[in-house]
Amino acid sequence: MMASTTFKRIVQEAAFFDEGYGFDVFGLHPRSLALSVAAARPIYESYFRVDSVGAEAIPREGPAILVANHAGVLPVDGAMLCLDVLRRTEPARIPRAIADHFVPRLPLVSTLFARLGVVNGTPANVRCLLDRGELIAIWPEGVAGPAKRFADRYRIQGWRVGFAELAIRYRAPVVPVAIIGAEESWPLLTKLRGTHVFGSPYLPIPASPIPLPAHYHLRYGMPHVLGHDSADASDPDLVASAALEVRYALERLIDDARRERRGVFR
Amino acid sequence: MRVMVTGATAPLGAALVRALLATNRVELVLAVGREREPALPSDPRLLYRAVDLTRRRALHDLVWGEARSRGVEVVVHGIQHRRARDRGARIHAQNVETTRELVLACTAHPTIRRLVYRSFAEIYAVHHLASNVFDEEAPLDFAPSSPQWLRDRVEADLWVCAHLGGPLQIAVLRCAEIFAPGTGSQLWDYLQSRICLRPLGFDPMVNVLSLDDAVAAFAAAMHGSATGVFNIPGCDTLPLSRAITESRRADVPVPGPLLAPLYGLRHSATGLDFRYDMNFQRFHFGGVLDGTRARVALGYVPRTHVSWPRPWWLVLVEQLGADQNTRR
Repeated sequence: MMASTTFKRIVQEAAFFDEGYGFDVFGLHPRSLALSVAAARPIYESYFRVDSVGAEAIPREGPAILVANHAGVLPVDGAMLCLDVLRRTEPARIPRAIADHFVPRLPLVSTLFARLGVVNGTPANVRCLLDRGELIAIWPEGVAGPAKRFADRYRIQGWRVGFAELAIRYRAPVVPVAIIGAEESWPLLTKLRGTHVFGSPYLPIPASPIPLPAHYHLRYGMPHVLGHDSADASDPDLVASAALEVRYALERLIDDARRERRGVFR
Repeated sequence: MRVMVTGATAPLGAALVRALLATNRVELVLAVGREREPALPSDPRLLYRAVDLTRRRALHDLVWGEARSRGVEVVVHGIQHRRARDRGARIHAQNVETTRELVLACTAHPTIRRLVYRSFAEIYAVHHLASNVFDEEAPLDFAPSSPQWLRDRVEADLWVCAHLGGPLQIAVLRCAEIFAPGTGSQLWDYLQSRICLRPLGFDPMVNVLSLDDAVAAFAAAMHGSATGVFNIPGCDTLPLSRAITESRRADVPVPGPLLAPLYGLRHSATGLDFRYDMNFQRFHFGGVLDGTRARVALGYVPRTHVSWPRPWWLVLVEQLGADQNTRR
């Protein structure tokens, strides 16, 4: 029942810029997305038992940016965040996850991701999404997030500031999201730096063949409106401090959520 | 308005001439082509001249002779060679030198005030780092390994753009692929096969332009006063696999490295023009034009869907069905 409701919400109610053949300009296909959401339901509900707090902070309409921490061998944390947003927004908002530049080179994966709403993270693509008033999900750590050692878990590894510039320019509120559980679910054993399969920065060697059933906790923070007007986006100091403001907010959310959880698998 | 249209016997030029003659806003159409007896409508407002524009003297005489005496105000130029496999100095002269000479001839002209130049979406660089949506500031394809078909188009486009802001009003229309027979469309040629091979694991978005929409864009650019570069997208944006399905062809994904030799063999066997090496990046990553600027400045909005090629048996069935309905 729940699955069919989610399917209906995504296919019929979610805002979508159909180019005439059931796809948007980036290749998003809501029916494929809805089927994937239905198929991933046991993983979301039973395997990772995703527990989410504060999703009502996501704006119901207009451009907005979700900013989250990143971990895991493959972007399972991104998938859980997108599933959570689809299930908890009313009407359903399709989050457009921003992927790294090597993703379009991956056969099958690139096509699957495009159908599910993932977009290659070029400035023009992101500008186009924000122009259309879409909700985008960004991981400013980039590849450095999943590539970190287990000892560095839940420590932000690098912090790109491009999202802050866009948020200021488009007056898009930024919602920080702490994702807890991904670090322990699929830790990285090592990475082969010399191996660049389809342009990937390294070949990850995970500590376990499949992700472990860690309990996922998602914590949404309050939306941040960065800068005073669009012109502030050209000021590098202001952009850097705005990005730092979001980083601190995210770090606080992560610390709070880690303190509150009872255990990694409980 | 008095207009000169080069390439008037090509599908786009001929359609544009017909569209111009169908309105009352045009007093004279000076159509220029190579054919001695073109298939153009007879109309007292139409003057056809067979001129080889690759000859500098002939081009100069046309622009400073007949075009001046007839008071031509607007020139629509687009005579790029269509076959992707042809190459050589003569092709380069047609694609680039003609454009260069025409721009120079029009710049100090007493009657010509506006040039509308037909450029191509294919000149944008497509690769995994590029955006899926190309605005007019997107990087162009300067790869030295590109075929002459593409290099000439980039060169000619840049040459025209270099004259923006001068005394001549210039509008460069970077059109999406015009999807119609005889236009040099690679996708049209690709979809002529009963079996269409595409790279396994990739299904990029493509955008195609109908001839009607292209004509509408040129008409809007001619009558307006906006200058600059304008992307002209088409009405149909869809995955490549869907384009194959719409054309009732068999969609067969094949490992990428096999495609170039297979399509090379196809060309040897059938003589068809499609070049996989030229479409390699596009068949992996795709890219769609952002037509915002054309919508705002020219009032151009794509409205007409393309006609997908149909296999002969389907056309026959449809015709038989239509005949039966007419008899009833």
